[in-house]
Amino acid sequence: MILEITDLKKIYADRTVVDIERLTINAGETIGVVGNNGAGKTTLFRMLLDLIRPDYGEIRSKGQSVAGSDAWKAYTASFLDEGFLIDYLTPEEYFVFIGSLHQLSVKDVEEYLHQYEEFFNGEIINRGKYIRDFSKGNQNKVGIAAALMQKPELLVLDEPFANLDPTTQIRLKAHLKLIAASQNITTLISSHDLNHVTDVCTRIILFEKGKVIKDLQTNENTLNELEAYFSG
Amino acid sequence: MLLTFLSHQWTGFWRSRGKGGTIAAQLVMGFLVLYIIGVAILVGYSMNSLIEHFLPGKDVIVVFNGVILYYFAIDFLMRIQLQELPTLAVVPYLHLNIPKRKLVYFLNIRALFSAFNILPLLLFFPFSIIQIALSFGSFASSMYMVTIFALMVFNNYAALYFKRLSIVNIWVVIVGGAFLATVGLLEYFKVYSITSLSNIVFQRIALQPAMGFLFVALAIVMFIVNARYLRNNLYIEELKSGETKKSSTDYPFLDRFGDAGTLVALEIKLILRNKRSRSTAFKGLIFLFYGFLMYKQSSIDKNEFGLILFAALFMTGNLILVYGQFMFGWQSAEFDGLLANKVDIKTFFKAKFLLLTLSATALTLIVSLYGLISWKLAVVELAAYLYNVGVGTVVVLYFATRNAKAIDLSKGSNFNWQGVSATTMLLVLPTLLVPYLIYFPLSFLFHPYWGIAGLAIVGLAGILSRNFWLGFLVNEFNKRKYTIAAGFREKS
Repeated sequence: MILEITDLKKIYADRTVVDIERLTINAGETIGVVGNNGAGKTTLFRMLLDLIRPDYGEIRSKGQSVAGSDAWKAYTASFLDEGFLIDYLTPEEYFVFIGSLHQLSVKDVEEYLHQYEEFFNGEIINRGKYIRDFSKGNQNKVGIAAALMQKPELLVLDEPFANLDPTTQIRLKAHLKLIAASQNITTLISSHDLNHVTDVCTRIILFEKGKVIKDLQTNENTLNELEAYFSG
Repeated sequence: MLLTFLSHQWTGFWRSRGKGGTIAAQLVMGFLVLYIIGVAILVGYSMNSLIEHFLPGKDVIVVFNGVILYYFAIDFLMRIQLQELPTLAVVPYLHLNIPKRKLVYFLNIRALFSAFNILPLLLFFPFSIIQIALSFGSFASSMYMVTIFALMVFNNYAALYFKRLSIVNIWVVIVGGAFLATVGLLEYFKVYSITSLSNIVFQRIALQPAMGFLFVALAIVMFIVNARYLRNNLYIEELKSGETKKSSTDYPFLDRFGDAGTLVALEIKLILRNKRSRSTAFKGLIFLFYGFLMYKQSSIDKNEFGLILFAALFMTGNLILVYGQFMFGWQSAEFDGLLANKVDIKTFFKAKFLLLTLSATALTLIVSLYGLISWKLAVVELAAYLYNVGVGTVVVLYFATRNAKAIDLSKGSNFNWQGVSATTMLLVLPTLLVPYLIYFPLSFLFHPYWGIAGLAIVGLAGILSRNFWLGFLVNEFNKRKYTIAAGFREKS
């Protein structure tokens, strides 16, 4: 068990946006978090990353409360939105900076980027642009690649498929499956694309107005079940 | 059509994100504006008695005449620095069915809405109406006003034109800068004087008022030149800065500071690569000339360091003040990322200290050149430096932990109140007033030198106890980090 959420509540202006009694996530799972807008997915992720203070309850990562210590930062990598990028850097500078936080040398980073050449599709490296001048999809690529580069045990991605071109979506899915199989990694992905999440994830958690209303191990019926709910 | 444009601008102004802020801050700002207008009217209205009071025995009209061109010379320099190009206001309309002619017209009218265009009228019109009419008749009086108005219009469009050229061609900046520096130096060394030139011009206008139409013609020519240039260059790409290839840079000398150095390198890039932070920082460089204004030989001789200390504090610490007051709002866009990543908060603060210390050190090295005038100046500056580094940094960073206002880095810094709150303004009090609480008592009781020494000792104490303050700041930050992050997420 890597994550343990107990009695977690976040309330904004009398509206409960996250309300989780108990949720545990085991090491090695690939979790898909789905739900309509306002279901509380991003708020949950932010609390998971200690960016928002829960009103009640807590989240424990490897047994330690995330709000109390910084220990989780060493093995957790995340990309929620462009707010995680440093937009006045070139992608190369950004990767080197993120690498330096994890004691990766410039050479390590270069080597790492090499393996992502296909994922970048020649659009990221050596373009002579700052991150802020890239399209949203390409910014997403930078953020996702930077998160993966940290070789995390816990990976948190908020709508990673949004804004990506079809080719990159397919490549990202293949890559996520690959690392799930070959490394000891726990992944949390939120997405509005039911096909993608059921394809990649081993477990799907469905949120509605902050509450967990379905928690499924993925099988061939999951997609239908989810579609039935959402067309609802 | 023009009215539609202007009403869009008006709604845009009131609804701009940066405007919000607390009611208290807005009230303070409102009062400040009213105060400045009030003072301008008062000065304009009582110009006569003011001149008699401060320059007794001089001919009031000669003094007034001498001031006008001098005012507009400084006005021009200020405009170049501060006046915003309103070009981007036109972008949402470029693709619509609106003739270019109208857009250019709109831009030109829009450019007139600037505080620079009100001040001279408030300052000079009352005197022209009362005194000049009394001495030279109503025709001369009205031509004074026409001339002053024409000078204002000329300055307005000349400054904008010069700025537009400088975006496209860097040489304009270099040549223009060299020209202005030469003119300034010649004036400083009294080779010639703008004052006497101004006096000659306006005496002429007093006697032959029709001469004033010459300035009207000049203003019209400037207006046309600017409008024509705009019309031929109305493309978004050219209105903004050019597309050059960006390359990665690093600052090897920062490596020795470890992780904190990495963060400092990051922040230096932030400053240099974003409009608002860049212009804020470069504005700090203008203050380096404060010394010429405030370092008076007489007070150096008499060991009266009051005013000198102010200039020294401000010159050595202006980046700490003007950049530091918006911390950590500069990083609001990537703040979530910084928090979620493996950045130790202690290192984060160490980096801030390092950055501010480096800035103060660099500025102090530059202003130490004033030491060539008198060694006393160098000593005062050193004390001011120690105070700024030891105490100023801590104060600024403490206030930073209470500031949750985001800043949009892509906007200019002038008259940009985004990120300004009551706390950011309060910050100036301790950093600039406390030194006097140390200096004046010691200076009166013992000797001015002791006042300066006291300041240096307090600063040194701050530097030596920095580890304590570091812990204190980290603590304060952790108490409020959620509020800060939430505030930054709102993009104010």
